[in-house]
Amino acid sequence: MSVDTLVAILVSGFVAGSLYALMASGLSLVWGTLRMFNFAHGTLLMLGAYAAWYFSDSKGLDLGLSVGILVALILLALGGILLYALLVRPFIARPGADLVVIITTLAGASFLQNSAQEVFGPRYKQLDRVVKGQVEILNTAIGLQELLIIILTPIVLLLLALFLKRTKLGLAIRAVEQNHDSALLAGVNVGRIYPLIFAVSAMLAALAGIMLGGLFFITPVMGSDPLLRAFIVVVFGGLGSLPGTIVGAYVIGIIEAIAVFVVGLYWAPVVLFIVLILVMILRPTGLMGGKE
Amino acid sequence: MSGRGLGLSPRQIALWVTGIAIFLLLPRVITDPYLLHVAILGMIFSIVASNWDLTLGYAGVFNFAHIAFFGIGAYTSGILAVRFGISPWIGIIAGAIAATIVAAIVSVPAIRLRGIYVALLTFAFAQLALALIVSQTSFTGGISGLVGVPGLSIGDYQFREHPVAYFYLIGAVLLASTLFLRRVVTSDFGLSLIALRDFEEYAVSRGVPLARQRFLAFLFSSIFTGVAGALYVHYLLVASPEVFGFSLGTLFLSVILVGGAATIYGPVIAGVVLTYISEMMAPLGPIRFMVLALLIIVTMWFVPQGVWGLLTRGFSRRNVTLPPEGLEADPDSPYGAGEEPGPAR
Amino acid sequence: MPLNVDRVSAGYGKVVVLHDISIVVGQGERVGLFGPNGHGKTTLLRAISGLIRPSSGSITFDGAPITTLSPREIVDRGLVQSPQGNTLFPRMTVLENLTLGAYAGHAWSQRRESLERVFALFPKLAQRQGQLARTLSGGERQMVSIGMALMGKPSLLMLDEPTLGLAPKIKDELAEAISAIAATGVTMLIVDQDIELLLGVCQRLYYIENGRVSLETREGERIDRQQILEMYFGTAPR
Repeated sequence: MSVDTLVAILVSGFVAGSLYALMASGLSLVWGTLRMFNFAHGTLLMLGAYAAWYFSDSKGLDLGLSVGILVALILLALGGILLYALLVRPFIARPGADLVVIITTLAGASFLQNSAQEVFGPRYKQLDRVVKGQVEILNTAIGLQELLIIILTPIVLLLLALFLKRTKLGLAIRAVEQNHDSALLAGVNVGRIYPLIFAVSAMLAALAGIMLGGLFFITPVMGSDPLLRAFIVVVFGGLGSLPGTIVGAYVIGIIEAIAVFVVGLYWAPVVLFIVLILVMILRPTGLMGGKE
Repeated sequence: MSGRGLGLSPRQIALWVTGIAIFLLLPRVITDPYLLHVAILGMIFSIVASNWDLTLGYAGVFNFAHIAFFGIGAYTSGILAVRFGISPWIGIIAGAIAATIVAAIVSVPAIRLRGIYVALLTFAFAQLALALIVSQTSFTGGISGLVGVPGLSIGDYQFREHPVAYFYLIGAVLLASTLFLRRVVTSDFGLSLIALRDFEEYAVSRGVPLARQRFLAFLFSSIFTGVAGALYVHYLLVASPEVFGFSLGTLFLSVILVGGAATIYGPVIAGVVLTYISEMMAPLGPIRFMVLALLIIVTMWFVPQGVWGLLTRGFSRRNVTLPPEGLEADPDSPYGAGEEPGPAR
Repeated sequence: MPLNVDRVSAGYGKVVVLHDISIVVGQGERVGLFGPNGHGKTTLLRAISGLIRPSSGSITFDGAPITTLSPREIVDRGLVQSPQGNTLFPRMTVLENLTLGAYAGHAWSQRRESLERVFALFPKLAQRQGQLARTLSGGERQMVSIGMALMGKPSLLMLDEPTLGLAPKIKDELAEAISAIAATGVTMLIVDQDIELLLGVCQRLYYIENGRVSLETREGERIDRQQILEMYFGTAPR
């Protein structure tokens, strides 16, 4: 294998890993606090991309990329809270809540996906890249946008980790994750933590959508594959472990990049699926999961 | 509910007879070929949804691979007919077998895992199946699908020239499927599924074989689903990847939930009704699925037991709550058995 | 009466655990609850703290009704519990756990002083500040649990089985600490199986059986240890 192929694989692996890390972190936060899975998470990525496009593109409101990105993040944070209020909160106290929430969020995903198609039409859109152009590293041409993703994502994740570790609110979130009843008894306003988690989770997804939209096309179904990868990542990295999830994301990203190179684009998902099955059978708690 | 036979009371037998009579007479009343078409599709979807109710509703297993059973039944029969010239009648049986094999394979990792893991696993599997079908263009026709699938025929009698034949055949299959499902859920096996769903730890401690029962539930639910898939392609005369798709899956889900999970009858009736509504909305494009999705959400808000559940059980919902100091399982463990402390119980 | 539980019935779903139960705790009093396992003592404390809503009856604290308040609001008013069992945050340090105890409003700004007081009471915790809670021994976990409750600056402190499952030597340590806390004058409601502990600290006892009060000792009344032990164990221990 030549150097530039290797670099290409690494770059695409890290880009994918970054996106999956953003997506999976959001899922992990929701799972950690609520013990539920948000199947509409992929559509949040998609909506983030569309929102950024709509506000920035000349065919939309034409307000420029920075405005587009900012508005997209804010809108999606609100959207996450709305999603929580409509599709999750009404069901929390019911028995079998986690299955119900899977169903309602699946329905929500269907609704959002089709709304996007209805509103924006089926033709692909393209979001502007934040940074255009390329750079040469080790004799290989690498897009600056890709580089930005690879550098920016760990920074965002680091900020997230600091927030969780150092702030009072972050402490409260971790408390709810680790012992729900004790958090209640300590006086944490658990009812306000949940929507906050959804807002953060949605913003992370939106960020992923914005970055992805700049690299590829924006379509109503663009969130579906990243969501699936994110699922694989959270299982692989260990449900309930944020560090495990982040590490797992990059590992899965690299595995995918290698798989694409070795068996081709169509069979790569099979490889990932086999990874998923193996993890579930051999080490279901994931890389770093399993608590108490 | 008695555990033997079909467990039908006189009143229920009367309902059945009425239903069958209506069914037999329907084609006399419906002259519009489009309505007949919708009825046929509706019955096929009823088969799929009511069988899905077995794993989703009765066994309480988050099986999201069910749509793959349908799709595999469809493509197996379609490919055999188009690529290998095999008779559709044999194809239907092959479709059922293929679906059952797939169900067996998927269920092996799934049955020991806890709810959410099963959901992820089966969901991923369904996506995988879709991806594989789309990629193997030479076999499957790729994204545009497989055309030229032959219709059913007996000798020179071509079903596609007499759609009524499809109506009666598929109706008969629906009847058989429903009888089969009713037999399963009223049997001791069915009761054990419900026990596992609602009181898993207790049932297991009383010797109910968790893995085996769930495995069988997967298998049983796939048989007629595979048949339905094959019937679908031999009716429409094409096999397209949408049989694995999200949209169709949403429709099936709405049929189960609006009809009533764990009722069998609910999805059977809702299948026809919702398919009708869905087809009526077809000109609206994506709005059609938005409406179905909203229907699911509204149902879960207000009538989670579904329409049939509402009619038969009233407003009481299945209510199982356990004291928090009861069962302290590791909530992140993929192995279930028992509730764990979580948000507001 | 700072705490007045008046004919409360409560349970989980269809299972009723508490039947019309009534207890009172006076200002500065130390009251003990004892009785067989699974008969509602913990359920009662959970109901008081707002984790369970009573189906009938009322609970008043400092004259104001708290029956329908959220756990957060109840803690805000100074009614704090150190619950039974697995109650710490396992992947957080001792320091973080204690800090969380002071989460509610007024306690947060005073958390540094509160922390010093807790460390003075439990020097072992000061040593193990940076350790993760899940690596602590049973006795140390109890200390953290009680410490967390103290961080909330309670005007009424409830302890649910503080010495459950601990070795006698640790029990003694904790009993001393609990006496020291009692000496500061804070009102206390203690649930425990160790009658000796309760008799050593409390002025009044309730015996709870089948979700009801079966026996209540009056304040000032000389508590007949023999009678209680007999009732608890069926016969006098040899």
